Amino acid sequence: MADAAFKQRAHDALADTNLKTAIDRTTGTAETKRAIAVEAFPEFQAARSRAAAIKDHVIANLDHYLIEFERNATASGAQVHWARDAAEAAAIVTKICTDADAKIVTRAKSMLGEEIGLPHALEEAGIERVETDLAEHIIQLAQERPSHIIWPAMHRTREDVATLFFKDHHPPPEADDPAAMVASARRVLRAKFMAADVGISGANFLVADTGATCTVTNEGNAELSTTPPRIHIVTAGIEKIVPSTDHAMALLRVLVRSATGGEITQYTTFHCGPKRPGDADGPEEMHIVLVDNGRTRMIGDEFRQMLRCIRCGACMNHCVVYRQIGGHAYGGTYPGPMGAVLTPVLDGLAQSRDLPHACTMNGRCEEVCPVRIPLKTLLKAWRVRTWDEGLVEKPLRYGLGLWGFAARRPWLYHLGARMALPVMRLFGRGWIRRLPLAGGWTDSRDLPAPAARSFMDQYRRQQKDARK
Amino acid sequence: MSARDDILAAIRTGLTHGRDGALPRQTPAQIAAEAAALLADPDEIRPALSGPDPVAAFIAKCANPALGVTLERLAGWEALPQAVAAYLTRHDLGPRIAVSGDARLDRLAQLPLETHRDTAPDEAAAISVALWGIAETGSVVIHSAPDQPILNAMLPRHWLVVLDETRILPFLDDYAAPAAPAPRNAVLITGSSGTTDIEGYFVRGAHGPGFVHVLLISR
Repeated sequence: MADAAFKQRAHDALADTNLKTAIDRTTGTAETKRAIAVEAFPEFQAARSRAAAIKDHVIANLDHYLIEFERNATASGAQVHWARDAAEAAAIVTKICTDADAKIVTRAKSMLGEEIGLPHALEEAGIERVETDLAEHIIQLAQERPSHIIWPAMHRTREDVATLFFKDHHPPPEADDPAAMVASARRVLRAKFMAADVGISGANFLVADTGATCTVTNEGNAELSTTPPRIHIVTAGIEKIVPSTDHAMALLRVLVRSATGGEITQYTTFHCGPKRPGDADGPEEMHIVLVDNGRTRMIGDEFRQMLRCIRCGACMNHCVVYRQIGGHAYGGTYPGPMGAVLTPVLDGLAQSRDLPHACTMNGRCEEVCPVRIPLKTLLKAWRVRTWDEGLVEKPLRYGLGLWGFAARRPWLYHLGARMALPVMRLFGRGWIRRLPLAGGWTDSRDLPAPAARSFMDQYRRQQKDARK
Repeated sequence: MSARDDILAAIRTGLTHGRDGALPRQTPAQIAAEAAALLADPDEIRPALSGPDPVAAFIAKCANPALGVTLERLAGWEALPQAVAAYLTRHDLGPRIAVSGDARLDRLAQLPLETHRDTAPDEAAAISVALWGIAETGSVVIHSAPDQPILNAMLPRHWLVVLDETRILPFLDDYAAPAAPAPRNAVLITGSSGTTDIEGYFVRGAHGPGFVHVLLISR
């Protein structure tokens, strides 16, 4: 995750036209569908404000709600575990699996599972891990990480998927169109669902007053991962708490519209404890692992607002930077604007100092965020901390120092501007595609050619003309 | 200290000694009052129903092609066997159908149908009885129980679900109230299983049923 690598990853991503095609196809559709869903829901703005208020209320009383959740989940027969960090969480899950002598584990997509390194931990423990979400299945075959929190295989074209499935599915898909490939994955994963010893899911909500965990999926893979095996394990961040099912419903309305443009997901399931006596199906044990991993560090400052995040992915679908470079370039578990705010918390600012700068500050992420997270403000807050902690590279630091010196002396600043303008105009009319010493900027961007005279010059001239 | 103690202590420290100053700590009664106030005026934060009454709104929602649902109204439970047999014939599925343990489905055990329990992983068709319907979204709700296997709704390619129209609730929050005490699984099912994971193309029948048929029993 080294920071020096971000620019290289972004550079490589920009040169990958296949990637651009794949991202555009899915984010474009997502943006359109969300806009239609919002249009059809006039109460959306009020619902967003209420959703933000619900999350703020939970965070302000997080200790109270976690204890209530633990009490009710325990009463339902579930076992609640607490993990301070990623390693502790992964160790708890792995131990439950090895204690149960589990051979096959099915997983329903969970970004928290990625965050705590669960795929790697299960592999280390010698347990067969089966990703059941279609996109997660694709990236498992490709041995990659998710590039989007809703569509983890967004960076893969259908041709890529066909190549992977024809190599790994036995028998292979009947054709290479999406329908045939989905049918093939259904066939291959069916056997795994029924043979698994443990099913692991995340949670979109933890309901304090019932002790239930809630998952939302469109494929039905969560239900098929959590019902047949003997053990169901939930891993969830502590900020996923809601006071009641009613509060979950209020959040669900803005979550699904923002994520996929639907009104509700096909499957919205509340999992509450293990199989009851006499039940027709269900696991004998249920474990819930409550994970901190940096979240409590965010409670005391402005990043508290980031704990509102309900992981819809709208901010990345609407981000001009994400749509150019894709999710992998960000280097962390979470990409896009929300990832640029979260990754410095999870991986350290020194490791991810470039991410808050990979932003045009156009504010589209804030405009679409269903819980009104001030993403732009939080990204700026990281920029300030990067500066304060001396993490800005020397050339930039000196450059900004020089600029600051000139900016405080208007005569010097105007002189510099007057000299620079004609020089810059030598390199392009309308748009500058290449500028000596500025390749870092112009290699992947065009620069508008400046006007012949500076604003101040033009202003002075107009004032003079007006007086004539 | 245990991880639990550490996490709770870190939360309290953040809330009371944060850079932004302390948040006021509230009593459980104050917290409950604030939580309840956040649910006030529900009509301001939910969509209007898509019909003049919950039944009409539910039917209108199911007509949305994006849901991948078909709906058929029946005059009463006695019309069920014939409707199920006709559906199986229409889709060329043969006479076999997996039934949940609900006693109201016992009437299906008659010719030409062949009913059985223990839904197979590749079951062609299965039938369950929904506990509730939700008009706001066109969802049906099932709760795990001795006579309600969750897998009966998830494994088949065609899932038929019987819903008594007197069980249709207007909004999602109306469901949340009567749902207590919580069953092991409460599943809100809205349309057929689907995925958009390959280039955003919508494909039905990802892992769950590709076809959902609602049999709505009139009052």
